[in-house]
Amino acid sequence: MKKSLLSLLLLSLVTIGASAKDVYPDGPVKIIVPYSAGGGSDSVSRALAEALKPEFPDGIAVENRTGGAGSVGMSYGMHSKANGSIITMVAPELVMLPHTGNGGDIDYKQFIPLAIVNSGYAAITVPSDSPYKTLDDLLKDAKSNNLLFGNSGTGSIWHLAGAGMEQSAGVEFTHVPFKGSSAAVTSLLGHHLDAVSVSYAEVASQVKAGALRTLAVLAPNRLADAPNVPTATELGYDVVIGTWRGYAVPVGTPTATVDFLTKSILKAAETDTFIKFMKNTNNDIEIIDSEGFAKKLKREDDFYKNLISTL
Amino acid sequence: MLAEALNLVLQPSVLLYIVLGVAGGMCIGCLPGLTTTMGVALVLPLTFGMDATHSILLLIGVYVGAVYGGSISAILLNTPGTPASAATALDGYKMASRGEAGRALGISTTSSFLGGTISCIFLILISPLLAKFALRFSAPEFFMLAVFGLCVISSISGKSMLLGLISGAFGILIATIGIDDITGTLRFTFNNMNLFSGINFIPVMIGLFAMSQAFVGVEDIFKKTAPTRKVTKVFPERSDWGVIIKNSFAFGSLGTFIGSIPGVGADIASFIAYGQAKSMSKHPEKFGTGLPEAISAPEAANNGVTGGALIPMLTLGVPGDAVAAIMIGALTVQGLQPGPLLFQNDGPIVYAIFIGLLIANVCMLVLGLNSVRLFTKVLSVPKSILVPTIFLLCFVGSYALANNIFDVIVMLFFGILGYFFQKIEMSSSPIILGLILGPMAESNFRRALLMGRGDYGTFLSTGICWVFFILIIVSLFLPMLQKKLLKSR
Repeated sequence: MKKSLLSLLLLSLVTIGASAKDVYPDGPVKIIVPYSAGGGSDSVSRALAEALKPEFPDGIAVENRTGGAGSVGMSYGMHSKANGSIITMVAPELVMLPHTGNGGDIDYKQFIPLAIVNSGYAAITVPSDSPYKTLDDLLKDAKSNNLLFGNSGTGSIWHLAGAGMEQSAGVEFTHVPFKGSSAAVTSLLGHHLDAVSVSYAEVASQVKAGALRTLAVLAPNRLADAPNVPTATELGYDVVIGTWRGYAVPVGTPTATVDFLTKSILKAAETDTFIKFMKNTNNDIEIIDSEGFAKKLKREDDFYKNLISTL
Repeated sequence: MLAEALNLVLQPSVLLYIVLGVAGGMCIGCLPGLTTTMGVALVLPLTFGMDATHSILLLIGVYVGAVYGGSISAILLNTPGTPASAATALDGYKMASRGEAGRALGISTTSSFLGGTISCIFLILISPLLAKFALRFSAPEFFMLAVFGLCVISSISGKSMLLGLISGAFGILIATIGIDDITGTLRFTFNNMNLFSGINFIPVMIGLFAMSQAFVGVEDIFKKTAPTRKVTKVFPERSDWGVIIKNSFAFGSLGTFIGSIPGVGADIASFIAYGQAKSMSKHPEKFGTGLPEAISAPEAANNGVTGGALIPMLTLGVPGDAVAAIMIGALTVQGLQPGPLLFQNDGPIVYAIFIGLLIANVCMLVLGLNSVRLFTKVLSVPKSILVPTIFLLCFVGSYALANNIFDVIVMLFFGILGYFFQKIEMSSSPIILGLILGPMAESNFRRALLMGRGDYGTFLSTGICWVFFILIIVSLFLPMLQKKLLKSR
């Protein structure tokens, strides 16, 4: 009996649908997160949904649709009804996966970008007892030695970060792919690798604890969290690679709805609870409005197309 | 420090949260389709508004409860609630079918408790040491561990070794579907996006165990066979205690060790424990018929993992398994940074976690032993009601995983396959083992060669590798030698 009751409850949870009329928002709104529950994308989106609640009287909830490095969820959101009932969280994979052939049918041109709330940049990080004190030390040695560079998976953003670094420095690394960043960081902690090229947020706690050392970040400016770490650009290597979390709706969504959503998201990203959440979870807030977002998508699509074709 | 920690934990509300967590975890665990990781992930958003102690101890309660809860449905219905109890189902269900469901549940509950408690003691006493050791695991070691784990196929093959090996190989084969971890190329995806990240092994498990069992249940409805499974005694009898204590210590420690290795979780631990219990046994041929040690070993090991998984999380800030990864998220939301600095900066919370884990284990024991009678009521539910309920749970569970109807199709496919496997007495467990360990073996084999720059010597380059190598040889050839010796006598 207990079981059937529970299953009824579950059923009702998963079948909450959405309806639409001319007033927006009309009915509950879903944010599709193409990554698994409990991860970074999920928790940021849930925090944002929480901050968005006042604007959505019928509720706004996160739904995880995982698979294919995010392509499954993004494709689902892309093909959903263009009425604003489904918002999709998108990431650089939207403009990366199509060039590696692993993106299925996802296409950034089928989305209207709303806003970006968060970004994180790659960091070249070594163990704290590594002989490499600066990025130049490492790159000089890389000219004669084949260094082991850990990343979060072949074709992932942090693999491309490592590849971008090696291209701009004219050296060659051995890229060692892991399933996710934390596995790469763990391996680096065990001194099985020479360096990793995952995001600064993912090594920050180890750097603060003195176990790892970040030599450079592949960011446009120094990070607020690590003001003493130089950017690669400062050191003469023109490479900026990072991830971001943005929100988008399918092409064809009414302009009024798009404007409403963009405004709501930009407002939610500036609430105290969201800011505090982001600070606690080592996520840097970087707000980009829909116009800037659209330009960024176009720019990164070209960039990754070139980078991936040279791999 | 300890006083401060006790102050944090011994609040009525914290204790209530632990109890609720364990109870909720047990429900999540025993439902096929709701895995431990999912349960903890579902509870996570609820903790955002709490303080750190409430939040992390609620999650730990869910974790401990869910790892244990999986064994309840494994024993009663032959449908493991989580992959970690797949090994328990092998003998647990057999014992329950003999009319000893109470005994089986009693053994699993006490072994889970002892295994969990032992892991907790290890966590408190030697976690920095174990964590340092765990960091020495690199690709070659992981590969050897995976191969060692695959050897367990020989122990769980059931009647026919050949069919067991076929089943294991099939598991490894379907694990190759999806994006290849090392090169990033697509394999066997037929341009179907749902296959890009491979076949999720949870729907496979739901299909092979729960769905196929429900199909068998349909037969029972028409045959009108009503197996009597009375709950005799819940608290283990004196004759079982020797086995429980011996196994719990050995395999609770093994579970702790396996749990402390980042990336290796309760599912692998319980299978390895089952395999080891069998190869150490004086009567290995009786495994699979409902032996107490065959229930005790995997259950002690999977709850041993709970404490073990916290070791790298608390000492190094790296997750020991998928659940620990979510807990790291929960702690960072609270502004706490798991890792070497946590002990220095937030000592009390670390000790609060230690105490909370112990309390959660006691909770699990008390709740488990008291609710056995309630749970076994499931057996007196007429099959005509029980079976449709299981069908429903299978569908909902596999859909809820990723909100993807494709997973339901996978579940159905493997449900039908599992039904025919049962008909030809082919064991389904090796498929699960192959699915879990196949990718681990493959990707680490290639990663090791990448890191060793193509040198095959890398697989025997460290002491840990040699230990696994010897264990593999022993576990594969010892049974043969034993047989020879017996014959020559």
